[in-house]
Amino acid sequence: MVDRALKGSDRAFGEIVRRYQDLLYRHAERMTGRRDDAEDVVQSAFIKAHRNLGKCRDPERVGAWLFRIGANSCKDHLKSKRTTVPVERLPDLVATDGDPEREADLGRVRTDIERALHSLAVEHREAFLMKHVEGWSYAEMSETLDVSVPALKMRVHRAREELQGLLQSYGS
Amino acid sequence: MDSRLQAYLDGELPLEGLPAELRARAEEWDGLLEDIRATSPTGAPLGLDTRVLAALEGERNAGPAGWLAWLLRPRMVPVPPAAVLAGAAAVVLVLGLFGLRDDGTIADSRVYVQFVVDAPTAQTVHLVGDFTEWQPTVELDDADGDGIWSGRVPLLPGVHEYMFVIDGADWVTDPHAASYQDDGFGQQNAIVAVSTLNGT
Repeated sequence: MVDRALKGSDRAFGEIVRRYQDLLYRHAERMTGRRDDAEDVVQSAFIKAHRNLGKCRDPERVGAWLFRIGANSCKDHLKSKRTTVPVERLPDLVATDGDPEREADLGRVRTDIERALHSLAVEHREAFLMKHVEGWSYAEMSETLDVSVPALKMRVHRAREELQGLLQSYGS
Repeated sequence: MDSRLQAYLDGELPLEGLPAELRARAEEWDGLLEDIRATSPTGAPLGLDTRVLAALEGERNAGPAGWLAWLLRPRMVPVPPAAVLAGAAAVVLVLGLFGLRDDGTIADSRVYVQFVVDAPTAQTVHLVGDFTEWQPTVELDDADGDGIWSGRVPLLPGVHEYMFVIDGADWVTDPHAASYQDDGFGQQNAIVAVSTLNGT
């Protein structure tokens, strides 16, 4: 499919976009904390990918290649803004059985978690989300981000320590 | 944080391998991580793929005229430190039009562009770009061994992105390009704009 996209097939590139947009979007929304920013980042990543498709050395791993472009776009976006990101209210995905007290508790916990995640250094947040939310192994993260496994472990360890401290300070 | 708890969270130690006082904390972490995963977005919003493809189409339709206007705007040009360390310095010279018929009409609108890069320690230098589908098919030449590599390449009018590949491995950005475009990998592609005499 990459070969066909490289030869100018819009249909093939469209299929690549459809296949990998969820992967890139989930990471982008978690990283940026905003849906509209996440959409912009994903759009910009696919445009960069289209322009540089010939640099994809291993078409079998086009997903990891796209993810790296998307992850770099997220970091560029966050570094260019350098502002505190207001966290949008996330959808209620955990069953509360209509218990208003439990709903209020969960809402507060979610807000605290989001606030804490967005207080982490960008690289720490990226590593933490990939490891614990998106389910990557350290080896896969290393290959995709081109960062050593020990360095990634250090980032995740620091992220956990920082999260723990932040959540304690919020009283969660 | 206790290193054994970190090892558990890294998946390197089973829960049973933790002392009792750490197990409760490990379970708290499991709950916290479950909460974080539960609030994760499930996927891209409807229509994102359509918007991406429309943006690509829009960029394509902007065409060379739009790109040239963009290139002519004054701007700061960043020079990547890696390229400077590599000792690479390139100059792009548009040599002229080829393919003019006797009656003055253009038979072939391609323009020969000369690429020059100063890479004194290189054994090989290739030019790669959108016009080679980023494959190292254009080898530059250093016939007199002075470390200045050059080659002429016929390019169609428009805006082209390119890089140099030193010794088959190091992708180097031209530090003297007219402009640059982020390549998505933390490096930048150099840009050369090619136009014909009639401005197309």
